[in-house]
Amino acid sequence: MIKSWRLFSIILLLAGLAGCAGVATRPGTVIGPDGAPLPAGDGASADSVPLPAVSDNRAVIALVGRARLDAGAGQREAAGASLERALRIEPRNAWLWHELAQVRHAQGQYAQAISLARKSISFAGGDKRLQAFNWRVIGNARAAQGDPVGAEEALKRAAELDK
Amino acid sequence: MAHPVWQKTWSVTRRFGSALHSAWVWFRARYRGKPVRMTVLLLLLALSGYLLYLDITIREAFEGRKFALPARVYARALEVYPGLKLTPDEFVADLQAVSYHESPEPNEPATYKRTLKGVEFATREFVFWDGRQAPQRLRIEFDDAKVTLLQDRAAGDRDVPLLRLEPPVIGGIYPGHNEDRALLRLNQVPKTLIDALIAIEDRQYYTHWGIDPRGIARALFKTVTGQRIEGGSTLTQQLVKNFFLTSKRTLTRKATEVLMALLLEMHYGKDEILETYFNEIYLGQDANRAIHGFGLASHFYFDRPLDRLELHELATLVGMVKGPGVYDPRKKPERTLHRRNIVLQEMARLNFITQAQFVEARQKPLGVVHRAPTGTSPYPAFLQLVHRQLRRDYHEDDLRSEGLRIFTTLDPRTQRHAEQALTARLAQIEKARKTPAKTLEGAVVVTSTQHGEVLALVGGREARFAGYNRAIDAQRPIGSLAKPIVFLTALEDKDRYTLLTPLNDGPLVWRERGAADWEPKNYDRQFHGQVPLRIVLANSYNVSTARLGIDLGVDRILDKLVRFGIERRPPPYASSLLGAFELSPLEVAQLYQTFADGGFRTPLRAIREIVTAEGKPLQRYPLNVEPVAAPAPVYLLTAALQGVVREGTGQGLSYWLPAELRAAGKTGTTDGLRDSWFAGYTGDRVAVVWIGRDDNQPTGLTGASGAMTVWGELMKSLKPEPLKPALPENVELVRIDPLTGLRTAEDCETAVELPFIKGTAPTEKASCASPSALKQKAGGAPADKPAPAPGDKKKSWLRRVLE
Repeated sequence: MIKSWRLFSIILLLAGLAGCAGVATRPGTVIGPDGAPLPAGDGASADSVPLPAVSDNRAVIALVGRARLDAGAGQREAAGASLERALRIEPRNAWLWHELAQVRHAQGQYAQAISLARKSISFAGGDKRLQAFNWRVIGNARAAQGDPVGAEEALKRAAELDK
Repeated sequence: MAHPVWQKTWSVTRRFGSALHSAWVWFRARYRGKPVRMTVLLLLLALSGYLLYLDITIREAFEGRKFALPARVYARALEVYPGLKLTPDEFVADLQAVSYHESPEPNEPATYKRTLKGVEFATREFVFWDGRQAPQRLRIEFDDAKVTLLQDRAAGDRDVPLLRLEPPVIGGIYPGHNEDRALLRLNQVPKTLIDALIAIEDRQYYTHWGIDPRGIARALFKTVTGQRIEGGSTLTQQLVKNFFLTSKRTLTRKATEVLMALLLEMHYGKDEILETYFNEIYLGQDANRAIHGFGLASHFYFDRPLDRLELHELATLVGMVKGPGVYDPRKKPERTLHRRNIVLQEMARLNFITQAQFVEARQKPLGVVHRAPTGTSPYPAFLQLVHRQLRRDYHEDDLRSEGLRIFTTLDPRTQRHAEQALTARLAQIEKARKTPAKTLEGAVVVTSTQHGEVLALVGGREARFAGYNRAIDAQRPIGSLAKPIVFLTALEDKDRYTLLTPLNDGPLVWRERGAADWEPKNYDRQFHGQVPLRIVLANSYNVSTARLGIDLGVDRILDKLVRFGIERRPPPYASSLLGAFELSPLEVAQLYQTFADGGFRTPLRAIREIVTAEGKPLQRYPLNVEPVAAPAPVYLLTAALQGVVREGTGQGLSYWLPAELRAAGKTGTTDGLRDSWFAGYTGDRVAVVWIGRDDNQPTGLTGASGAMTVWGELMKSLKPEPLKPALPENVELVRIDPLTGLRTAEDCETAVELPFIKGTAPTEKASCASPSALKQKAGGAPADKPAPAPGDKKKSWLRRVLE
């Protein structure tokens, strides 16, 4: 998993070379304004189809970029903190809630991961792919909690949404 | 390992020991007689023991003060980014709140300059929870009350996506003993203050070794000759005296003081002693609270931190050292002014200030604030909440001494608006109703909808003064604020209840064991027959709500409250359905937070992060959410609560808020009009307001005529986001004819759009009712009541307010 985060960080850094600014608090942390593919971390499936931008607010993009780098470096608490900052700017951004769910999953906080994924679903509207990602987080978290039946149910929903 | 104090004490003891030994050898040679030898030996032993005792005592007192670093509490750090709603004035106020100064060349940290379109400024270095933020030179521009541009002036005007401004300190958690502190490091003490103090109190400070022999000789001479007992104290002696405050002035006391001063100077440097002096010296009394130190005195007398005092104000404080009771600027202004001018004169004489500065400062009035604030924090009620949350996780001693840095959620702007709304409205209400001034009290809590962060907390109308914190400590019956939980329980049963389900508002007598017969009444003392569910909530009918709750099961409903974050379960009686149980405004905010957040419970937080004095992250309080209610019924409930504001008991809010805001809320009034409540939410804010009297006497206010007006005033100034909850997948919006409760065509203008869980909306279609038909039917049961025409609306809420 860490490997994929790292790979992802490199993609982000490359994307960032397109000349955009970094987070004021940490010069050098750069990320493309177009958003970027989601990390293939726990719960989310790597997808070849390009994903929509997480946000069109550059402050949010910068914070998400920083969160992903931190998460990639194993700094999950810091990643969570950056995502919470982003959520204060865009509290109804379903992608941000999803990313936070992933971070909590990676931290082993499965109950929180499930709650946050549900919250992401509540803001996802008709975005079936995001809903599927969230159901996958829920499925994986349930599996980790020792609930194989619940996990299967959630993963089945994810698969249906992916159709 | 031995404690450093004991190690030092041991070395001193050894030195004393060897000195004593030499003295003893000399004595033995001189006086051979045994009795004399014994007496001298005993005397010397007693003396050395006494010195040792003094040494330990004074050092314990000194070390105890020196190393106690209170926790520093910060407000939220303002996040600035293009697109943020912010005006140049608000931004400059934020800069000033963290002590930025205006400068024509704003390149030094903490300076700014206004430009045509915005502000140029330079930030300081600051260590946040997640790392250090380097100083930056920036430019910000605004248009139409929004940030349009943020650039780094030092990096070729590179765009900066986000800036975190240093957060303002909003208080500290200080050592106990009824002693408050605003601790200062010596480098934080204005040079003028040091100069003034030395000029007036102890000119030889940097050269003497703790005592001033000439001063002592003079004091002794005057005392012995019976003139009067006089001071002649150095700053060191004053500090010693301050540790063991006593009004007694005896020669033995003086001797002890001299010895302790000498001992203190043996162990500590001049700067260390001076720093402690600045933090320790007694400068006044506020009831049972002693005012120690210049930092606190600055707040107490001038309501400003020390670094923002002017020369004449600093001189006043220095003048007071001689006797804070005698030179009390509030009680004895003339005498204090005279004393201040002596200090200024002495400073001019010793060339610490120029003649021009002297003349200018001498002409100024004392400038003390009329009433002393109760502490160093402008937000004592919020600080109390922070302190309480901290006490769950930390030892009281660590909070008061380890120098922790605590980052909180307080938004000073929201707090200011909340304070102003409460104070202004209470005064207006008292005036309009000719009730005696200052009899009404109130509390306000504002939180952020999706994060559960406490943005503002007002504990009473005198928000600046600590005291009874009504926002967290006042437990009051919540009345109709409890109703939404009944309706939510109903709406969860989608096969039985929709927003249109008719409810029986006919007479009801309820008998249950352990409680007297209960006969709920409506506020208007009428019964309304069959009323659609959403109208029952909008008009806050008691009888039909009680009947609904009893049908659903009292226990089932009250259990839900616990899931929603209300820790104490209300008494298991039907009257609890109508809010005959007590909650604090903060608890009510927790309850409504969950409605506002689509059924997700987020425990309310006042603290985000804690960092040690060295900048090491210690603890985060992360955002936690828990789904406690399904999104669909909560969506329906929110629609019904929007109905309360649009056409029910909350429609008076239209005086303050535009209809497009689509705010949701509920009024609450308790028996005898003792408590006036309003709880509600917008897209990004949840706020709860309570108004009542501390003696629990009737206020004559309903929820709508009291608390709701504060809520309206507050939300108007906060400019919140409109409430547009995310539509759950299994909910559909259907246009309904308010007369018949049937579906109408999409283009029917008299129809209302209502949400239904899929499969529960009426299927039968009605023709579109004419506005006149609606008007005729308005107010009558059983059909739905449409929104009154604007004119009626005004009249009906006005009537409500006046009733």
